[in-house]
Amino acid sequence: MNVQLESPPETAILEIAPDTVKLAIKDLNFFYGAKQALFDVNVSFAANAVTALIGPSGCGKSTLLRTMNRMYSLYPGQKASGQILLDGEDVLSPRANVAAVRARIGMVFQKPTPFPMSIFDNVAYGVRLYEKLSKADMANRVEEALRRAALWDEVKDKLKESGLGLSGGQQQRLCVARGIAVKPEVLLLDEPASALDPISTARLEETIADLKSEYTVVIVTHNMGQAARLSDHTGFMYLGTLVEFGETEQVFTNPVTARARDYITGRFG
Amino acid sequence: MSMAAAAPRLSRRLGEIVFLSACWVATGVALVALAAILWSLLTKGVGGLDLNVFTKSTPAPGNEGGLLNAILGSVMMCVLAMIGAALVGFLAGTWLSEFARDSRYGKVVRFLNDVLLSAPSILVGLFVYEILVAPLKGFSGFAGAVALGLIAAPVITRTTEDVLRLQPTALREASVALGAPVWRTIFTVIWKSARSGMLTGALLAFARISGETAPLLFTALNNQFLSLDLTKPTANLPVVIANFALTAYDDWRRLAWTAALLITATVLVVTMLARILLRGNTRSS
Repeated sequence: MNVQLESPPETAILEIAPDTVKLAIKDLNFFYGAKQALFDVNVSFAANAVTALIGPSGCGKSTLLRTMNRMYSLYPGQKASGQILLDGEDVLSPRANVAAVRARIGMVFQKPTPFPMSIFDNVAYGVRLYEKLSKADMANRVEEALRRAALWDEVKDKLKESGLGLSGGQQQRLCVARGIAVKPEVLLLDEPASALDPISTARLEETIADLKSEYTVVIVTHNMGQAARLSDHTGFMYLGTLVEFGETEQVFTNPVTARARDYITGRFG
Repeated sequence: MSMAAAAPRLSRRLGEIVFLSACWVATGVALVALAAILWSLLTKGVGGLDLNVFTKSTPAPGNEGGLLNAILGSVMMCVLAMIGAALVGFLAGTWLSEFARDSRYGKVVRFLNDVLLSAPSILVGLFVYEILVAPLKGFSGFAGAVALGLIAAPVITRTTEDVLRLQPTALREASVALGAPVWRTIFTVIWKSARSGMLTGALLAFARISGETAPLLFTALNNQFLSLDLTKPTANLPVVIANFALTAYDDWRRLAWTAALLITATVLVVTMLARILLRGNTRSS
């Protein structure tokens, strides 16, 4: 950062210590057809930490999240350039095995998306894609995932029932369980609590806080309180640019850039 | 509004009454017609329903007989047609919905399928006559099954595409995000989620072909005798109805009514069975 500047800097991006970096994004540009949605994003996410992405609607938070697991590749018109390095391997490279990348980088969506099958099969679905487990091992894996997602006690007696019969909050925790059952290294959460009531949100937040001991978590949220409570690092995005990235406490109490300050103090957004 | 200040409520209520009554009348007309058809079918068809219908083949006038040959022929051709049509329809509908949604080729195929969907069934019969019956110099049950399949496939294709398009994008993405390949996502998650709609489409197609007469006249023709050989002309219920209903023989006319009753009852039972099965599958708690 340039300290001689009188006016606040346009952008302020904290460099994470290289040995703690799990996922590094370099010169990322993203296009929906002809429309550019991300501009030269450079940022790193630390392992075993929660990083929150905040910013007004349409600023590119979710887009950034969807580049990391190549979700955009499902849609022919969408293109990304630059690099996203997962432990040094480029996820965006044409040679990358997209399905394998997605197995390493899990994702939970805004709305709960249980599959039309039993609770057990919902959790086992992803595991069956990549591992052949015995019945007992699979049962253990499913139980472990449901316990970590804080859902086990509520569903242990009805694992054979449809996942569609659960409440919204339970469905979302089922999706978290499904995501962690495949043992990914990174977990991307796209506004996971936006469709939930306060009690379900609180339970989900506990789950997320607990997950960071094993995973690198990146969460997109509109809820500033949630970002402040949960995350170690926070990135603020605006119009497709990562404007400020730093320790959560610093970003929320003493933002460096004018845009982040305006947003966080509520002058726009 | 032309009425006074307090009038809007009255006119609104009046409008509601008129509209509701119109709905009731329209529903009533449809139901009365349906009830009349079913009533005449029942009164005239049940009389001929006895064991002979299921154990004997179509008789010469004045002789004792049943519909065994026609029932078997219809079942064989419909089943064969449905197997082929379901295979083509499910896959083609999946391709249209999942892989060719906005492509030019997809649009052409979708349009042609819609044309085929509303093509007169007699044309389908003539077409199969030209490509299968004439060159092979013989009517056959296979040709009949092909004709029925050609009628059923566009129905299944269309309904499959429609119900697959209704499946939320989030469901596809959720499966793909776990590392599942797209084909696996479609065949496990998406098909499973859409199965009731897909099955309903197949049942609609079955209901449609189980009463089709015109295409069978040019392909399967008919057979007075019991035959399981689909390379030969094959008896079937719709053609038996067509042949027997307009004759002067009372026993033939009674058999025609019975055949019509059988087709209707089959469609009814299959539809209800499927609903019951589906309800068991999708019950969530």
